[in-house]
Amino acid sequence: MSTHHTPEHLHSHLEDTLTVGKWFQNIWDAIRTTYKGMMITFRYVWGVKPVTIEYPEVREVLPENSRSRLFNDVDNCISCMQCADACPVDCIYITAVRRDKEAPAIKTDDGTPLKLDLKQYTIDTALCCYCGLCTEACPTECLTHTTDFEYSQYTLSQMKYNYLAPDIRAWKHRIVK
Amino acid sequence: MEYFLDINKEQEQLKTNLMTMNMGPQHPATHGVLRVEIKTDSEVVAQAIPHLGYLHRCMEKHCEHLDFRGVIPFCDRMDYLAAMNMEWGYCLTVEKLLGTEVPVRAQYIRTIVAEMQRIASHLMFFGTYAIDLGAFTPFLYAFQDREFILRIFEELSGARLLYNYIWLGGVWNDINDDQLQRISNWIEEMEESMKKYHALVGENKIFIERTANVGVIDKEMAFDYGATGPVLRGSGVDWDLRKTRPYGMYEKFDFNTVVGKGEKGRVGDCWDRYYVRVFEIFESLKILRQCLEGIEAGPVIGKVSKIVKPAPAEIFLRTECPRGELGYHLITDGSKKPYRLKVKSSCFTHVSMLPDIGPGQLIADFVASIGSIDIVLGEVDR
Repeated sequence: MSTHHTPEHLHSHLEDTLTVGKWFQNIWDAIRTTYKGMMITFRYVWGVKPVTIEYPEVREVLPENSRSRLFNDVDNCISCMQCADACPVDCIYITAVRRDKEAPAIKTDDGTPLKLDLKQYTIDTALCCYCGLCTEACPTECLTHTTDFEYSQYTLSQMKYNYLAPDIRAWKHRIVK
Repeated sequence: MEYFLDINKEQEQLKTNLMTMNMGPQHPATHGVLRVEIKTDSEVVAQAIPHLGYLHRCMEKHCEHLDFRGVIPFCDRMDYLAAMNMEWGYCLTVEKLLGTEVPVRAQYIRTIVAEMQRIASHLMFFGTYAIDLGAFTPFLYAFQDREFILRIFEELSGARLLYNYIWLGGVWNDINDDQLQRISNWIEEMEESMKKYHALVGENKIFIERTANVGVIDKEMAFDYGATGPVLRGSGVDWDLRKTRPYGMYEKFDFNTVVGKGEKGRVGDCWDRYYVRVFEIFESLKILRQCLEGIEAGPVIGKVSKIVKPAPAEIFLRTECPRGELGYHLITDGSKKPYRLKVKSSCFTHVSMLPDIGPGQLIADFVASIGSIDIVLGEVDR
């Protein structure tokens, strides 16, 4: 603690002399400036549109590139693990095995041949920090952020999404742009 | 001899007992999770000790396990009210190590978002400071204008608060003409409404009585502690990194540094710090207007290799953030992860001034002093 600041030093304004003229001046200033402020707020009584929306009934349209719930279109996923590498909080869990040579060849929508069979693709959305680095790393652009933001759950395990599960696969037609 | 001892005992019994109180960590007036242990003599603060660490998230240690791109979301989370400025400082540091050229358009966009973020942050200060002093209306007005800025940022980056928008070598998304037009319309509105807000709060006699001559940080004390940003400028020191050590493209722009002059009381009081922040909004609007005139077409992201591997080096770079100077000390060892990333935060310096400001003040004035140095605990604890 430095020594050049004493409590007296901080309170020196209390020593200012208060004359009768100053006293009336203070009262006049208070009335004048408060009136000025009241006139500014008074203009908001009429003619100003409300800026809030009543949420569950009225919903704001989020911008196109809003970063909310992640969705992976597993049919186009080539199991390259680049999203898991880019993730700063390691919330993407991928398991993949080499595809049988005898099995029929499949390709993604953009023509990349699939060499690995995806066995598990899970994202822990409770851990996810919604930074968007994984979607940027994705070479086939199958991993995208959707504008869906209403998905609160009761337990943490319900926040883990297995994108190979049929019910989650069905989101494709609902939320993907 | 015994007689004297008795007198001493009697005097000891008559002495006022100091009461120890905890202000925080959940007290709304401390802006986050700051706990100040105050010893009070009736209603006067006799001693104030800030306790930190309630929002410590090991950000610096965690960054040692991330690649250089993965650090950016963590920079956002330090000062969540000025995330763009935090990102920009980090990106400048790594770009200087890599020697990356940032395209001109990207530099313009960076300046636009950083200045808009500065306005948003100062609006937040304006609103919460009025709440600290008992006025609720200005808070709503400030949030109304802040909402526009957040909306633009949401359209640009996809997030409202933690953007991850400024990337190594440029920015993520391009800004379109419609957004630029909306910003330029908003600048005119903002200038008008900010004048109105200042008349509502800053010129009000009650506000002046609460802030003038309260919590005085004079020039000497500001230098002693190493204060930066609006706190230093409020103490009458003309020091703004955008002017004195220009980074980005700030040397191109014409703007003034706002310095506290002690108009309503003494130089360096709470009113001066309020004044510096509010009038910096007007200067930021000036910069924004010049940006919108000068912005040119082109790419928004330069060439940065997919795996960032800077040569072993050590660098310290600082930028002017809304709350003060933010310094990044980065040490690299040639791998794709930082060896050490130390953040020099201005809020930490300002919190350490509290034991010196506090003694001798009324508790209500102490709240005004904490509010006026405008701390974000995310940046203090990291």
